[in-house]
Amino acid sequence: MRIFLLFLLCAALASCNHFEFSPNQSFDRLSLKDVNATNLKKLGTGENDDTVSFVLTGDTQKSRDETVKFCKAVNAIKGIDFVVLAGDITEFGVLKEMLWISRTLEDLNPPYVAVIGNHDETARGKEAFLHMFGELDYSFVYGGIKFIGHNTNSREYNFNGQVPNIPWLKNELKPSPGVTGYVAISHVPVNSEDFDGKLIKDYTSTFAETPGFLASLHAHTHNYKLFYPDNSGIPYVITSAMANNEFLVVQIVNNKISFERVYF
Amino acid sequence: MREYIFKFRFVFLLLLLLTSTKISAQNFKFLIPDEAIVQYAGSIGYFSGGVGYELFGNKRGNLDLLYGFVPGSKGGVLNIATAKFGYRPWSIKVKDWGKFYPFNPAIFATYTFHKDLSFKFPSGQYAHDYYYWSEALRPHLAFSSEIELDAKKLLKNIGIRAIGLYIEANTNDFYLINYFQNTSALTVTDIFQLGIGMRVKF
Repeated sequence: MRIFLLFLLCAALASCNHFEFSPNQSFDRLSLKDVNATNLKKLGTGENDDTVSFVLTGDTQKSRDETVKFCKAVNAIKGIDFVVLAGDITEFGVLKEMLWISRTLEDLNPPYVAVIGNHDETARGKEAFLHMFGELDYSFVYGGIKFIGHNTNSREYNFNGQVPNIPWLKNELKPSPGVTGYVAISHVPVNSEDFDGKLIKDYTSTFAETPGFLASLHAHTHNYKLFYPDNSGIPYVITSAMANNEFLVVQIVNNKISFERVYF
Repeated sequence: MREYIFKFRFVFLLLLLLTSTKISAQNFKFLIPDEAIVQYAGSIGYFSGGVGYELFGNKRGNLDLLYGFVPGSKGGVLNIATAKFGYRPWSIKVKDWGKFYPFNPAIFATYTFHKDLSFKFPSGQYAHDYYYWSEALRPHLAFSSEIELDAKKLLKNIGIRAIGLYIEANTNDFYLINYFQNTSALTVTDIFQLGIGMRVKF
């Protein structure tokens, strides 16, 4: 009896961070803030890096056990500059799922950034993402390449014509000093029914018209696919889901992009 | 405290009289709650409060109806309605001043009111099985321990029968699904969330 009480007391004290107000809280006392910005600061600008290598993965959703193995596999590869999680971090859009996955991803040696997926926009997931990771549309430059993370979860906005935000993309794709190439990263690819059909043409031609545009990278469909939606020659690549024990290593040398499927 | 209870009962009776002028309020005496409850955390609000009914002949069952609030500064703003059914299978007498209920299972449902949380995903926007859950309605599973102090022994005649102090661990369908699919990356302590509360029994 006394042992039981003692156990109970220990359990309560050891888990002071376990006093949850609601699964739908958009943040709590211990939740992380601005993960993307913090990790990008760690990454730096890669000014002298002539070989940009990064890992593209996505759809971690309910695949936490696989994510543990994923971290080990990525850490074993030499020269990876950063990791991109291309959306669907969560299944149900709740804060705890984001916290649990980032706890696992902290084991990664290279820094990681996240892009929002459609599942992350259910419930109050969008607010949780904004608080924990940062903006839904953002960009950064590494090794002379501009990476443009953006929201393509059109169905979550009932196809209102504003997601993806094409005027914002056009502005981000304007020539700027020190940038030789562009890579777009988003969750839903243009060949999905969840992408706003009205915007496909404008979206792909925006990329096609940008000199030095290298590739558009995605997740969402859970299976690897390389496709060319127009005749611009720009590759659109979908990475496999975390659950399939596969990710993509992307390498950019001399403004040439290559992809390698890695299984773990 | 007594005044508070009187007020409570008064409001209840008034409600009953308003809804049933023909039937005597005496017939609805069972609607008068047996307990007033306040709770901190426990996934049903930053703070929540409500009423409890003791069920069954042995009074080991409990039906609690609670309203909880999470302010914006704590990750809200959320308004949460909770209906909880619990049972106390074991009771241990503690000296002459109380009882200890070591392990009390409960199930409860929460409905969270917020513009981003719908009972059902709109069918025009999504195919039938696109998302298979409800955002606003959440089933929970809980276990609590409660220590009950005999108010008649400890406090003189203030209209309270007993005071129960409890700690409760709960989880929900979302967390259970995450756990069962990832038993190496998640632990049971990850998915169970705590709350503490007090029951004033009169």
